[in-house]
Amino acid sequence: MKLKTFRGGVHPEGHKELSKSLPVEAYLPKGDLIFPTNQHIGKPARPVVKKGDKVLAGQLLAEADGFVSANIICSCSGTVKAVEERHTISGSRATCVIVENDGQFTLASGVGKERREGTFSNKDILDAIKAAGIVGLGGAGFPTHVKLTSKNPEAIDYIIANGSECEPYITCDDVLMQRENRAIVEGLKLVLRLFPNAQGIIAIENNKPEAIQAMEAVCAGEKQVYVQQVLAKYPEGGERNLISVVTGRDLKFGQLPADVGCIVCNVSTLYAIYCAVYHSEPLMERYFTVSGDAIVHPRTMSVCIGTSCEELIHAAGGIKDGCTAKKVLCGGPMMGIAMSSLNVPISKNNNALTVLAEDPVEQAQTQMTACIRCGRCAHVCPIHLVPQMMAEAAQHGDLERYEQKLYGLDCIACGSCTYVCPAKRPLMQLFKQTKAAIMASKRK
Amino acid sequence: MTDTLLNISSSPHIRKRLTVGNVMFQVILALIPSAVFGIYRYGLRAFLIIALTVLSTELTEFLFDYISKKPNTLKDGSAAVTGLLLALSLSHSVPLYIPILGGIFAILFVKCFFGGLGKNFMNPALAARCFLLISFGSAMTNFAVDGVSSATPLAALQAGETVSLSDVFLGFSNGVIGSSPLLLVIGGLILLAAGGVTIEIPASCLIAFTAFMALFGGKGLDPHYLMIHICSGGVLMGAFFMATDPVTSPMTSAGQLLYGVIIGVLFGLFRVKGTATDSGSYAIIIANLFVPLIDKMRVRKPLGYKNGEYREHEFPKAAFNLMAITLIAGLTLSSVYLLTKDAIQQQKEAAKAASYQAVCPVAVDFSSNTAMDNAIQALNGGVYNENYGKTYINEAVVGTASDGSVTGYVISVTSADGFDGNITLSVGLAPDGTVNSISFTELNETAGMGMRCGDDEFKNQFNGVKTNAFLLNKAGGSTSDSEIDSVSGASISSGAVVNAVNTALAFFAETVG
Repeated sequence: MKLKTFRGGVHPEGHKELSKSLPVEAYLPKGDLIFPTNQHIGKPARPVVKKGDKVLAGQLLAEADGFVSANIICSCSGTVKAVEERHTISGSRATCVIVENDGQFTLASGVGKERREGTFSNKDILDAIKAAGIVGLGGAGFPTHVKLTSKNPEAIDYIIANGSECEPYITCDDVLMQRENRAIVEGLKLVLRLFPNAQGIIAIENNKPEAIQAMEAVCAGEKQVYVQQVLAKYPEGGERNLISVVTGRDLKFGQLPADVGCIVCNVSTLYAIYCAVYHSEPLMERYFTVSGDAIVHPRTMSVCIGTSCEELIHAAGGIKDGCTAKKVLCGGPMMGIAMSSLNVPISKNNNALTVLAEDPVEQAQTQMTACIRCGRCAHVCPIHLVPQMMAEAAQHGDLERYEQKLYGLDCIACGSCTYVCPAKRPLMQLFKQTKAAIMASKRK
Repeated sequence: MTDTLLNISSSPHIRKRLTVGNVMFQVILALIPSAVFGIYRYGLRAFLIIALTVLSTELTEFLFDYISKKPNTLKDGSAAVTGLLLALSLSHSVPLYIPILGGIFAILFVKCFFGGLGKNFMNPALAARCFLLISFGSAMTNFAVDGVSSATPLAALQAGETVSLSDVFLGFSNGVIGSSPLLLVIGGLILLAAGGVTIEIPASCLIAFTAFMALFGGKGLDPHYLMIHICSGGVLMGAFFMATDPVTSPMTSAGQLLYGVIIGVLFGLFRVKGTATDSGSYAIIIANLFVPLIDKMRVRKPLGYKNGEYREHEFPKAAFNLMAITLIAGLTLSSVYLLTKDAIQQQKEAAKAASYQAVCPVAVDFSSNTAMDNAIQALNGGVYNENYGKTYINEAVVGTASDGSVTGYVISVTSADGFDGNITLSVGLAPDGTVNSISFTELNETAGMGMRCGDDEFKNQFNGVKTNAFLLNKAGGSTSDSEIDSVSGASISSGAVVNAVNTALAFFAETVG
């Protein structure tokens, strides 16, 4: 059978075997937890606690401020140590609530209260999602209740559960699909209730046979939900590509999936929706992978949001003897953020830490030559851009050509071009800068 | 936990291992079978040529970098590839200054002066080869093995000789060092498998060339004829190794298809209508000039920009464009031929009359002679005498003075044994059979070589000689009047001329003398 896929893309080494087979444990943090108020796209949440307050697990720390914003929920019990500016994973500073962890993890009242099917309305679903502080857990961090609040819910034809997980090293969605297959499908069905004409498609790359099997087993009796295998290729899980592969509909820059009748949710998000609606559990924990060639026991764990990266690396056995962690990435090696410090907390939308003993970028810099116009970048671009020409235009400062003729703003920053470039040109970096420059000039 | 500073950089944080050096090394690897065969076939001399060319390109690049205080770029391997490609497209018998000059020209003038790797707009190896072809024509096209010169398969094919396809395909015909089609194809497949080149350029180029030859080559779909053409004259080398040079070929698949078709059509056009048999180099460097335009013209639409919001079945626009271009090129060519056919015929008549006058200057009128006409009729358009190769008598006339007395005879003979096609000439004879002079009405030989048969230096050797038959002296320095010194490097053209004149003499002796 020929699997569905898109034109372009790359095949980086997966390294998924490192972290997918070990039994999954819930890691309970020992140190302080830090909750940045900007764990989502949109306006940062407004803190509702102050220094010295006693807080419980599941309690609201900061509430959504405005329409596109999300609640921040405490994931441990203890005392608020401070509400102040701290560094976050991206390297910038944000207002954070710091909670001194008492190690008890006492739940706030009402958390874990079971809700039966048929006892809640569509509005209750949205309210529960909003209260739980759920955002896009695949990485984007877009508040989920906003995404699911549609003016025209009849126009949505497909809800795509994204379980493709195409980034190397990361296995949290894979493990989640194997263990919580039923909950994910229930979560998907909750979303489908909001969109009367929609079908649910669970898209999984064919390199996760166990997950496919587990999900198919649950979908067998379902009418509205089915599993769609897609070819394992990076960036299969990118929203634009996934929609194109699964439905044949294409998005362009500035369009939302809803414009072509689709909504894409990560499987982790659907799981969180299930927990919030049926068990009244707000978003406190998530599946998280700590992997990389410098880690002693790479693994996928269930972790508390707000745990420091240093502690999580320690939980995975720490750094191998004789190894230095040259580079620590929040996320995978293709799109992850290189961190300057480990003393930062993980947010809701972070799914992995990848610790590398060698830095291929450092090595690539010594191998850089002139562009030989080989066209490999154009060949792999999943959006069908021509990165070589974009780089030329960007270097000449021809922003108009970059934007108008070469569709430069459509770049999804997947990094495939930079990955394959034999001349080791820093294409992605150039595109990010140029896109930022163009967007800045548009805002003026 | 970690005191060392962490590295930060923009994503992605991993890179594919492939470097520019690897890409170049793939090309070298794919060329090695051809190079080894060349050395096996042509001996140490071939090795010497290859070594000198590569050395020359490498040294030129090194010195340029050194003098212009640029970082050393030898390790990217592109200079070595240029050297190897150039060496493999040289004859093993070229004088040793040729590979050295070629290497310098390729690297210095074509590559470095335009900004080095990735900035040259023509394939350096081919540009250097064209430079050498123009500057040192005879040396570049002398493919003699052990001093015995013989025609390249294309020349032989044009002369109507039988050419063994298996010899050509295995590489046992005369040609450049890297001219074994079998090994070039193997090398090309290695390169394709390694991902060094994409299939678009070689495939579109070869298909367009084959289609062109089938349409305009005059032999239709004759597989033997088409295969000989594909396997010789640098078509395979061009399609797999020269045209695919990433620097001078388009970026996108559609652009590459168009570019391949341009090359294929130019290959065919130069084959069928051009004079030089080995004009493949020119075809590619001309197509190189189109590359910036092709790249600009075909900026593809990204995902989501097709007509309408939802993607319909993709309209194969590129394929239609390519077909239209091929058709237009074909129609233009054939219409040019049809339009100019009559004009060419008139010109030929006028040229014939002028040449008759030139070789029989005292005559005021030319008339036919029954004996000669009957003899021509009897030949029925066939070969006159096998000893003189494929020669044909076109016409024979008697030149008369104003008083009606015979002043001489003119016999028009065509030899099909020319290097690049037919040679037609008029031989003027005095009534006693002494050659007055000869004059060409059709001479399309290689510029600078066979074409020099038309020079007085060669032509005048026939004047005023009375003999039964002339002899061709390939070495030069003739002592007897009836020996003709060959134009150096063009023994085939010279031989065809001598045979044509001998045919006229024999015909004269048979019918008049």
